[in-house]
Amino acid sequence: MNQANLILNSLSLGYDKDIYSRISASANYGEMVALVGPNGIGKSTLLKSIAAIQSFRSGEILIDAKNISAISQKVLSTLISFVPSQSPKALNLSVFDMVSSGCFNRSNWLGEANEEDKALVMETLDRVGLDGFAFRDSGRLSDGEFQRAAIARSLVQKSGIMLLDEPTAFLDIENKLVVTRLLAKLAKEEKRCIIFSTHDLQLAIKLCDRIWLMGRDHFTEGSPLDLIENGAFDSMFKDSGLKFDKTLYTFI
Amino acid sequence: MTITRLKFRKSYTAIYAAIAVALLILTILNLILGSVIIPPGELLASLTGSEAPKYVNDILWNFRIPKVITALLAGVALSVCGLQMQTMFRNPLADPFILGISSGAGLGVALFVMGSSAFGLSIAGGLFFNLGIAASAWAGAAGVTLIILLVSHRLRENSSLLIFGIMIGSVTSAIITLIQYFSSSSELKAFVTWTMGSFSGLTNSQIWILSLLVVPGIVLSVYNIKELNILLQGEAYAKSLGLNLQATRRRILIATTLLAGSVTAFCGPIGFIGIAVPHIARLFFKNADHKVLVPATALTGAAIMVLTDMVAQLPGQSWVIPINTVSALIGVPVILFIIMRSKFS
Repeated sequence: MNQANLILNSLSLGYDKDIYSRISASANYGEMVALVGPNGIGKSTLLKSIAAIQSFRSGEILIDAKNISAISQKVLSTLISFVPSQSPKALNLSVFDMVSSGCFNRSNWLGEANEEDKALVMETLDRVGLDGFAFRDSGRLSDGEFQRAAIARSLVQKSGIMLLDEPTAFLDIENKLVVTRLLAKLAKEEKRCIIFSTHDLQLAIKLCDRIWLMGRDHFTEGSPLDLIENGAFDSMFKDSGLKFDKTLYTFI
Repeated sequence: MTITRLKFRKSYTAIYAAIAVALLILTILNLILGSVIIPPGELLASLTGSEAPKYVNDILWNFRIPKVITALLAGVALSVCGLQMQTMFRNPLADPFILGISSGAGLGVALFVMGSSAFGLSIAGGLFFNLGIAASAWAGAAGVTLIILLVSHRLRENSSLLIFGIMIGSVTSAIITLIQYFSSSSELKAFVTWTMGSFSGLTNSQIWILSLLVVPGIVLSVYNIKELNILLQGEAYAKSLGLNLQATRRRILIATTLLAGSVTAFCGPIGFIGIAVPHIARLFFKNADHKVLVPATALTGAAIMVLTDMVAQLPGQSWVIPINTVSALIGVPVILFIIMRSKFS
């Protein structure tokens, strides 16, 4: 059977009332997925619902054909990792200690990572371009460096699916490109399924395999080109008179 | 392996040793100094069991040694408690008492002290009276923690939990004021004396009870280290790792009640140490890892509490300054320093 690795089945988000409903989408290992939509539409809520950080109203989420509500939080953390939009920076916590906390479920009772995981942490720091940063203070990293450390922290969790909430929102153009390219590389080379919310439509269209679009009135998913062709982006800002330019990949 | 070597490239042995030596010196000074100064030679003689004057043995074994042990226990307990609260609430000014734990203890004591005469019990400081104060303080502290545990799943945000604690404090102090209004001056004096805080007057059996409550609290705190290091990095991240937030909060609250509740019961509400000591330890060790911070805070807290007690018993004076006055003098500058630094950096 040809089933996607991650499937959202008519999901309704919210705590005591629906804030967004009828979300059906899928994603696969090795794919980079951008989650786009206007501010306040519920992008964070969707990511947090998938990561089981908050509950959702109805519908189902399947990972490799298994319903996540039947999976314990601990096991789920080996399948999905989550990078919050603005993790609090802990002053005087070394980058090594920060990243190795991703080994939480494999470390001993004091939270000490085993030798294998320590090596993994060092190697992961290299992979995200933070070699030599292990014993720097994570609280004093630049925003771009901190975001890459947070990505490393989620990588050592060894999950196939990585969710990132606005990973580039507070970064300058250079760091934005560095982080996005890193994510694309991780998706391709390590066969991870990377889903991130963003406001940068141009970048999303150029780099992503798939776009999840939370429009004003309904949810759409598809490849960037499909969405451009069928005018899905125009529905994003229905009331404001903005038109999506199909050649510039942006709103004018 | 090189990574292991790198990981521990920073050794804290020297700082730990320095604080331990300071603690030892302060403890010896604490035993020597007081309204009667004991010559070091006679202190040593009495401690080693050799021939020492009777007054030295009396003062040391009946008064100063129990007092210094109480101060050590209280220092360790309140500081480790404050550290956990600050991490859990990600609030640098959180401490054992901000949740209203001491207010609850205060209400318990107020009800006992000022209510005991209503049952025809004498107010004199008998054994029953002392144990009654401790038991009622503990019951009050545990009661507040129980309420917090019951509502904590409804208070999703840490800030609302903090406000909840402050509100409990307001309600209990209102009730205490009301009780005070109807109580006699001797009852009032007994209550006010308790609120000033003191390490003296604990019997050996009371010290045993205190240790039997504080030691499990410390053991539980050590067991909390792994989760505390995750909480440091935000609750969303903690949940995504599969950490059970409710259970973790519960464990931390139980540890803090064991620690702060018991100390408050026997020594009165001692302020500022819980806030200040974790910051002093962070300043010394410059490491947010709780594997380093928990022992560092415990050691620093013990040293500072013994110092506080020593200052309170100003040598050569026959009167004693309330512990809370001294702890405020030590704690408030630290707190102001934190606020100033966070404003301007």
